[in-house]
Amino acid sequence: MIENQIKLEKIDDFRWQIPRSYKPGMRVPGLIYADEKLLKDIYQDKALEQVANVAFLPGIVNYSLAMPDIHWGYGFPIGGVAATDIEDGGVVSPGGVGFDINCGVRLMRTNLEYEDVKDKIKDLVYRLFSDVPAGVGSKGDIRLSAKEEKEILIKGSQWAVAHGYGIEDDLDCTEERGAISGADPDVVSERAYERGKAQSGTLGSGNHFLEIQVIDQLYDADLCDSFGLNLGQIMVMIHSGSRGLGYQICEDYTRNMVHCLQKYNINLPDRQLACAPVNSPEGRSYLAAMKCAANYAWANRQCLMHLTRLSFEKVLGTSWEKLGMQLIYDVAHNIAKIEKYEIDGITKNLCVHRKGATRAFPPGHPALPEKYKLTGQPVIIPGDMGRNSYLLVGTEKARETFYSACHGAGRVKSRTAATKSINLNVLLKELESKGIIVKASGRGTIVEEAPQAYKDVNDVVNVVHNAGISRRVCRMRPLGVIKG
Amino acid sequence: MKTYEILEHTADIGIRVKARDLSGLFKAAGLALFQLSAEKQPTKDKEKHKLVINQKANSLEELFINWLNELLSLSAVEAMVFEDLQISKIDEHNIEAVALGSDMKNYKINSEIKAATYHALKIEKNNSGWIAEVIFDV
Repeated sequence: MIENQIKLEKIDDFRWQIPRSYKPGMRVPGLIYADEKLLKDIYQDKALEQVANVAFLPGIVNYSLAMPDIHWGYGFPIGGVAATDIEDGGVVSPGGVGFDINCGVRLMRTNLEYEDVKDKIKDLVYRLFSDVPAGVGSKGDIRLSAKEEKEILIKGSQWAVAHGYGIEDDLDCTEERGAISGADPDVVSERAYERGKAQSGTLGSGNHFLEIQVIDQLYDADLCDSFGLNLGQIMVMIHSGSRGLGYQICEDYTRNMVHCLQKYNINLPDRQLACAPVNSPEGRSYLAAMKCAANYAWANRQCLMHLTRLSFEKVLGTSWEKLGMQLIYDVAHNIAKIEKYEIDGITKNLCVHRKGATRAFPPGHPALPEKYKLTGQPVIIPGDMGRNSYLLVGTEKARETFYSACHGAGRVKSRTAATKSINLNVLLKELESKGIIVKASGRGTIVEEAPQAYKDVNDVVNVVHNAGISRRVCRMRPLGVIKG
Repeated sequence: MKTYEILEHTADIGIRVKARDLSGLFKAAGLALFQLSAEKQPTKDKEKHKLVINQKANSLEELFINWLNELLSLSAVEAMVFEDLQISKIDEHNIEAVALGSDMKNYKINSEIKAATYHALKIEKNNSGWIAEVIFDV
């Protein structure tokens, strides 16, 4: 346990403030979304200190924010959100995005009901495990020429759909239509290309997963109708990122931006927050490279979804279209985006860092596709492999968090502590008794990612719902889990 | 032989390494990356691949992080696990080394280390030599 000196000031039951006076150099206060139960866990590590450190970033607006799944990361806390004012010297920090750029999650519905497929879950899990490449450094069947790789970095999911790995509707249901503009492959190093090569269409390892889930709770009947969701319906969730390409881009630009601190006279308490003004050659280059990795990740999740649809077809002997396997939405949770907000009556372009946080646009937001204009943006929150996952929607109240919500359950136990205290066979039996089948390429991953290592996602989602920064639609529980 | 001790971190992995000199410190931290993530499997493939690694930096901390990240990056690109690191020259700003690697297929990879970070980085000299603490993103 870490001794924590930070005294939080309570704003209401779900919001707590770190005053600027906590550390000289904080430009804004810290604002943490949590209830008293979650705060006990949050106090156990150094995440709050990291919230205070992020408040040092030049140009930061309003608050250094933390979602209820916040935990200790490097540089930014995981679950951290910070927006900087571009015209006021606002910076972009690769550490505010992380190594796995556009690590994110997508949720797909099906027409299947639990009763129809309960005896086939095992077949589906084994088929998916065999057809979807997973594991460290795993390589996919999708082989690319150097020219095609550059094309993916610009066109993202749109490349995948154009090559038969999906349909146009999938793009409508993907943040940025799966391709954020401004990606420049020329600012991506050769090394990054090499590291990303051959990994398209692969899941990766660690906390990445593919899950077959069933809806076990509805919260809002109207919203569920809008999304075509019912109790007992089978869903599929995919969690993956930009693989080696993203890691290398983050490393290349952190290496470079450590030198920017002196050049732009920036004082920070942690060098992993290394940054440069958005309006500087270094800042612009990083964003153009980051967008390449973001597009690569969207293409990757699109390909993974395509492989999933094919696996379902093979096992169930029906086309994926007939199975109703439609994408609900795909969201990034490690990214920096330029978004417009009104600050003190003036519309400003802000660079919004979401490090382990989900964009949550409200109903009517211009960036939303027609089908979600009335509901608000779907917000997908994966939990751990033994408990639940959620679908929520964004709300107008989330303006106070730059339209951001949590991204998951949040770790509470270190990987080493989990490995020491959890027995794999006992864990697998426990999961099996709950009707959950797990297949992983590394046995160690299952233990490291055990439910005991995470906060209860139900507590986390309660806070974002009750604080009003997102609204619950429905809850899922896992049936089959494929892990890297 | 294990060259490191683990430091608890909620989401990632921290390590502490100790050595009599800088060369030993860099070697111990570098080998820890692979001892943490890879497990050798029985194999007849005894071939060792040699890769030259030269790094320059403005400070010792930067050199340390750049060195570790270069090892991770090369390991991923070359699909190799490094089993020995021979450092021929080192000072606060430069390192010249040869990494001896075995094909990744001879290993079971248990976890993926994405990068070494500056967060809570410590490199200190004391009476008995050098000590470093570093957090890896996993």
